[in-house]
Amino acid sequence: MIDFARVQKELQECSKEIDTSGIRVSPKSDNLARLTGIIPGPLGTPYEGGSFEIDITLPDGYPFEPPKMKFVTKVWHPNISSQSGAICLDILKDQWSPALTLKTALLSVQALLSAPEPDDPQDAVVAQQYLREYQTFVGTARYWTESFAKASSLGVEEKVQRLVEMGFADSLVRSTLEAVGGDENLALEKLLSS
Amino acid sequence: MDSSEGSLMEMENQSSKDAVNSEEIPDQFVCCVCLDLLYKPIVLHCGHMACFWCVHKSMNTRNESHCPICRNPYSHFPGICQVLHFLLLKLYPTTYKKREHQILEEEKRTGYFSPELNSHECELHGDGEFDYCGSPTNSTAMCFQPSTYPDSTRNHKLCKTAERVESHVHTEQNCDGDLNQIIPVSGQEKEQISVADLLCTACKQLLFRPVVLNCGHVYCQTCIVPTDTVLRCQVCQSLHPRGFPPVCLTLDQFLADKFSKEYSLRRDAIQLKQDSSDHERATTYHLPLAVEPGTYTHRGVGCDACGMSPIVGDRYKCKDCTEAIGFDLCRDCYITRLKLPGRFNQRHTPEHKFELIKRDMTPRLLTRITEQLENVSTSVVISDFVAVSRDNTIDDPASPYLHMENQDDTPTNE
Repeated sequence: MIDFARVQKELQECSKEIDTSGIRVSPKSDNLARLTGIIPGPLGTPYEGGSFEIDITLPDGYPFEPPKMKFVTKVWHPNISSQSGAICLDILKDQWSPALTLKTALLSVQALLSAPEPDDPQDAVVAQQYLREYQTFVGTARYWTESFAKASSLGVEEKVQRLVEMGFADSLVRSTLEAVGGDENLALEKLLSS
Repeated sequence: MDSSEGSLMEMENQSSKDAVNSEEIPDQFVCCVCLDLLYKPIVLHCGHMACFWCVHKSMNTRNESHCPICRNPYSHFPGICQVLHFLLLKLYPTTYKKREHQILEEEKRTGYFSPELNSHECELHGDGEFDYCGSPTNSTAMCFQPSTYPDSTRNHKLCKTAERVESHVHTEQNCDGDLNQIIPVSGQEKEQISVADLLCTACKQLLFRPVVLNCGHVYCQTCIVPTDTVLRCQVCQSLHPRGFPPVCLTLDQFLADKFSKEYSLRRDAIQLKQDSSDHERATTYHLPLAVEPGTYTHRGVGCDACGMSPIVGDRYKCKDCTEAIGFDLCRDCYITRLKLPGRFNQRHTPEHKFELIKRDMTPRLLTRITEQLENVSTSVVISDFVAVSRDNTIDDPASPYLHMENQDDTPTNE
């Protein structure tokens, strides 16, 4: 049985500290066993500026068993599967402690983004690139952040609304956004230059 | 009265952390596991605290356990720290009773019960035996007796705290009946805590740099005499398996804040007497943590006397205890026959018969799971298997089970 009283407390605690930590946790539905976490990409890393969504499933034994977490946002990182989003992090496995919370676990995931462990990889391709061609790795990771972590951080409708408010036609805004893969700034550039 | 009832209801509705409740629980008394007020607190061998059930549920069933906060290893389930229990009950009566109610409901659901704690019903005799004295009905002072337990007449058990407050009182009063006058009879009203609530088991003075032994008894650090053998509690004779205990910093901080004058007096007195740093350097024998190869561990079964969990080696199982959780002793405790109460409120008596169980089911279970693995494997079976095998299997990249467990990642894993 999941300790829902505790999950509730965690959510309250977390919402209080959003401004300092930038970490958000919200339930997917009424059932508190499925949640969504959002972590900002750490500054000074290729993930900076991105906003990464993490799918959280609480096992029956929570908090005595670790929460199951995986990236929904695609991310290029040696310890995160570029295909499935699976995370290789000890505290989410055998090093879990019931004193850890969803917030501290997400903070650890955020720290993992800052400090990859290529010697204990989840994604062998990324890890090899990290070790052999670091610059290429940084480029790819940044490109993935631009393509996936920024577009998904805001709803399309909000972007459309903002661009329309600047005086562009609704249909044009939508087609331009689509053409640039959802990036608001790129879309604006394109709209201005056309 | 009304306001407290109102807040109780509101708290039940939103289970929030006391925006409405007048009892603001400071972080130091919030359990690190359930994030609620500590209930029946246990102090681990590193000095960190958690609720009785929170500690029990976070323990490893097949190997040594680790503190949820600092990961300090331990292999004995400590007893409830009754000084803290009664302190919290006095400090936050409304919240503590709400917690009691919650936990009791949970216990009824699971059929496993935590020990009942009553402040003064029995005296502890020097030889380590518990005896009856007084009856539950007239012991109303601070008495914390849930009438809803299946049988409340067997409460003459874990009453170790009692003698601390009592002996203090007895010396002045020498009379049982007047106890209620000293400690006001009150359920809801907030009682003032006094030095008498925080006395050392040995010196009967205000605790100074408190340490909590495995049995839950609290001493001043300077009142513990280091030995070359395993440390034993001077009162209940139960052993403290993890060497010289460190100071429980939460309690120490509380004492220094709450009784600053008395506390500094105690500090001066002790520093005059001896250099306390001697004690910090003191080493006392540790019982080994690691399980020797070849010995059987009884997975998920703990000793009801010393708390060793899981029991390593011979296990003595009571044949007459009917509680779902059972009553078990390790070999040493079976031989010494210390008459300590069970850890889960069992109705065990010395007349009960034991049977010797030499090995547990784990090897058979492993075989069964391996068989299932060879047939059609399911992810459930695999995760069970990983849990049964040693922790480090998970980290081992060569392990075939890891590969199978993370099947969805295989495209990138090579």
